[in-house]
Amino acid sequence: MWKRTLNGRPLHFHLAGINNQNFLMRDDETGSWWQQITGKAIFGPLKGRQLDAVLSDELTFGLWKQESPAGKVLAPVTKYQDEYESEWEPKVAKLPVVINFPRTPLQSRDILIGMEISGASRAYPMPAVLAQSPVQDRLGGTPILLVVGPDGKSVRAFVSRLDGKDIELFRKSGSEWVMVDSTSGSEWNFQGCAITGPAQGKCLQPLPVLKDYWFDWRNYHPETSVYRH
Amino acid sequence: MELVDSGAVKTKSGRMIPSLGFALLVAASSSLFLIPAFIIRPFRFQSPRGLILAMALRQNAPLWTAVFTAGAIVFAIFLWPRISIWKRIPLVLGLCLACGAAVMSRIDYFEWMFHPVPVPGFESADHTGLDSSEMVIAVRFGNDARAYPIREMAYHHVVNDVVDGVPLAVTY
Repeated sequence: MWKRTLNGRPLHFHLAGINNQNFLMRDDETGSWWQQITGKAIFGPLKGRQLDAVLSDELTFGLWKQESPAGKVLAPVTKYQDEYESEWEPKVAKLPVVINFPRTPLQSRDILIGMEISGASRAYPMPAVLAQSPVQDRLGGTPILLVVGPDGKSVRAFVSRLDGKDIELFRKSGSEWVMVDSTSGSEWNFQGCAITGPAQGKCLQPLPVLKDYWFDWRNYHPETSVYRH
Repeated sequence: MELVDSGAVKTKSGRMIPSLGFALLVAASSSLFLIPAFIIRPFRFQSPRGLILAMALRQNAPLWTAVFTAGAIVFAIFLWPRISIWKRIPLVLGLCLACGAAVMSRIDYFEWMFHPVPVPGFESADHTGLDSSEMVIAVRFGNDARAYPIREMAYHHVVNDVVDGVPLAVTY
């Protein structure tokens, strides 16, 4: 997700092409070509310009509604409503790919959580994240936490640092979904905020994550490492 | 006898240059649409150089297809009274091709496949028919929280929205 303002002028984007299965947009204002995954103009008058990324989440509707009961949901466009696919992921998984990275640790259509911090990028294979959540790691010198939410599907990442000190978080066993940090023993929710204990009221800094296919992630992050544990 | 012969030759060579010009202009106009359309086919590999070429042609196509098509029309008007009825068939086909390329160069035909959302509409969380396990892309600015269901984003791919005064491009 991107801020679509450049030099104080809002741009309006349209899907205008495809580049190895990652789509291209053009803005109505200048006709420049933008790559969707990078938010960067690759051709035209604005070539080289970069849109500012906006922190967004990929969540289940149930979890989102719990967190944002007053929120608004994009309404379906009545004309096309019947053409929406509810089973998008399994359908796309069967589509062919046009770029391959043989002798790399993952398969083209493997789903991963991609992260990039201070120029370092790492792919966290989805099955590993689901099995090990919360994943505690270090990337680009930053201690990070990748965690799967109470719905078992939504993934968020945070800087696992509290008051300048690195902390580790664990899932607390029990019926209610909470994490506990090893330093203060405070309990944390999926929004990365402490709800009990000495840290109560404090929140961890959220980090952007991108759910992506290996071929696409690897194509735009040739130096990426792959998380193994 | 000699006079008539040289006159016939002159007429023939007089049609040659306009005919060639017509063919070249039709080819140029249609290439400006067809080459990028061929390069950026879905489910095909795009090489970096091929992609640059496709974007460069597409960028310049609205102007140059118009110029080439106008030129082709001028040649066609010149040739029309001077050629037999059978030779008018390729002339008409060529004009259709050139005009078609000029029109297609002005149309974002990708939006025939991936229909845009003209003005995004919203409903409250309680009034959607969404299942609680369906994925959404979520964003929050101030008190304005919005969810974009993946099933809609996977169809439209781009939504130009404004959240709490901030213009956003929601992409999937």
